[in-house]
Amino acid sequence: MFRNNYDNDSVTFSPQGRIFQVEYAAEAVKQGSVVVGIASKTHAVLVAIKRNAEELSSYQKKLFPIDEHVGIAIAGLTSDARVLSNFMKQQCLGHRLTYGRNMPVRTLVDMIGSKAQINTQHYGKRPYGVGLLVAGVDDHGPHLFEFQPSGMTEEMVAFAIGARSQMARTYLEKNLDAFADCGREELIRHGLKALKESLVQDRELTIDNTSVAIVGVEKQEDGTTKPQPFKVYDGQDVSAWIESVADNAEAAPATAEGEGMDVDS
Amino acid sequence: MTSIGTGYDLANSIFSPDGRNFQVEYAVKAVENGSTSIGIRCKDGVVLAAEKVITSKLLKQGANKRIATVDRHLGIVYSGMIPDGRHFVDRARDEARGWRDNYKTPISTKDLAGRMGGYMQAYTLYQSVRPFGITAIIGGYDSELETPVDGEVGSGPSVGAGGKVEGKKHGGPFLYMVEPSGLYWGYYGAATGKGRQAAKAELEKLDLSGDGESTGLTLEEAVKEAARIIYVAHDDNKDREFELEMTWISGADGPTKGRHLEVPETLRKEAEKYAERMTAKDVEDEEETKEGGDKMEE
Repeated sequence: MFRNNYDNDSVTFSPQGRIFQVEYAAEAVKQGSVVVGIASKTHAVLVAIKRNAEELSSYQKKLFPIDEHVGIAIAGLTSDARVLSNFMKQQCLGHRLTYGRNMPVRTLVDMIGSKAQINTQHYGKRPYGVGLLVAGVDDHGPHLFEFQPSGMTEEMVAFAIGARSQMARTYLEKNLDAFADCGREELIRHGLKALKESLVQDRELTIDNTSVAIVGVEKQEDGTTKPQPFKVYDGQDVSAWIESVADNAEAAPATAEGEGMDVDS
Repeated sequence: MTSIGTGYDLANSIFSPDGRNFQVEYAVKAVENGSTSIGIRCKDGVVLAAEKVITSKLLKQGANKRIATVDRHLGIVYSGMIPDGRHFVDRARDEARGWRDNYKTPISTKDLAGRMGGYMQAYTLYQSVRPFGITAIIGGYDSELETPVDGEVGSGPSVGAGGKVEGKKHGGPFLYMVEPSGLYWGYYGAATGKGRQAAKAELEKLDLSGDGESTGLTLEEAVKEAARIIYVAHDDNKDREFELEMTWISGADGPTKGRHLEVPETLRKEAEKYAERMTAKDVEDEEETKEGGDKMEE
């Protein structure tokens, strides 16, 4: 039988120049439930589907605050995410102590990128089995980054990772041009709609399985901007948003509804 | 997957009976699949250019940079595994900073290339690591000016070891390319990644050595040619869109004042227009010759 000899560790190249262990780690991301992130000129939002092990158990958290101005959404091995999350928290705190201000989001993301890369080049280590969406604000406004187990980090306008996330990405691509000028409420609704695309048949968004997080800069009346810290919403706090994107929110046919809502908002 | 390495390719730093290190060769394969990067050295500076294939519409345009600044006068562009490239650049920055700390003067391009070549080579020596999946192009402009060393006392010896040689020039633009094996050479024009063959063919046509009577390309011309070459090299996989990223380094009296900087947007746009015009012309020419050929057959 065919056996792949080149996939036992992360220090062996295949004859095609691939590292299978890293590619397999990327598969672990696809096992996690879907998370979506979108950035506009003023806000960055993260929305997620939470999973529970059984009916009576609680739901696994998907969104984590890192610092006042940054948060992450995770897909894949939660325990690996916690390691990265702790690291990011420490770095942000250290940065604030030394420089007296928030860490730029790109700097933070590059740090976990470098950290993850080392795991792909040394024997006895394994790549992280988790993908992240990092949302935050800094002096340059809101940002959204994707982090992969390979250590690859890229800034995105909007993105989705996790199980069946391709459907969500298709939705995001279709509505890409609308995001830049969206306010926070619109952005969340776009996020939830993208999330719904990735839902398995006869499952739907509930207050138990949906998480929403927002970070941004809010325009003040005097023209100045004020940062709006990263905040996660769960349970009853997300019910209004879920209702606003429900299929029967307007008693219109499914096809016309999407368009109608876009115009309204 | 027939026995390509017959067991000698399963771990790094293992020689095959005919003296090859397969893992290093496979690392080169990773580079050959990566997007194209080039560097051009001309008389008054260096240009670095990268083709960034757009893998998703959702990527933020222009936000993900591929050419890194290592020191004020040094830039690195790489092809292959991007996270490896990031690590490489981090190390290069450490080397440049370490050099400044030790010797109170900026590292020369040659010395950086040497340090980084050594670093790459070290990753071919042990089974506990894998080679880098990148080829990096290092560009720099070493100052020609008499730069006082930080904290210098006196003026140093005037003769003998460490003394100054009358009429000897130093500094200038330099370009090096480091491969996964750790091997590095100095270049007039360097290309790596998927489109390297086409890019090399184009680079060879340019007058870069400045031999004989010709004065060679100017820096601005080199920027335009760099853009064109990236466009030509991309030709093979036309269906995939790409972004062009370019940086340049001139001498202290040039447009970047000895710094490694991104090519200004106006010049980049101009270069892209030139590149589009030239590549479109090439296609037309080809089609004309084809038509001519058909007629001849008739």
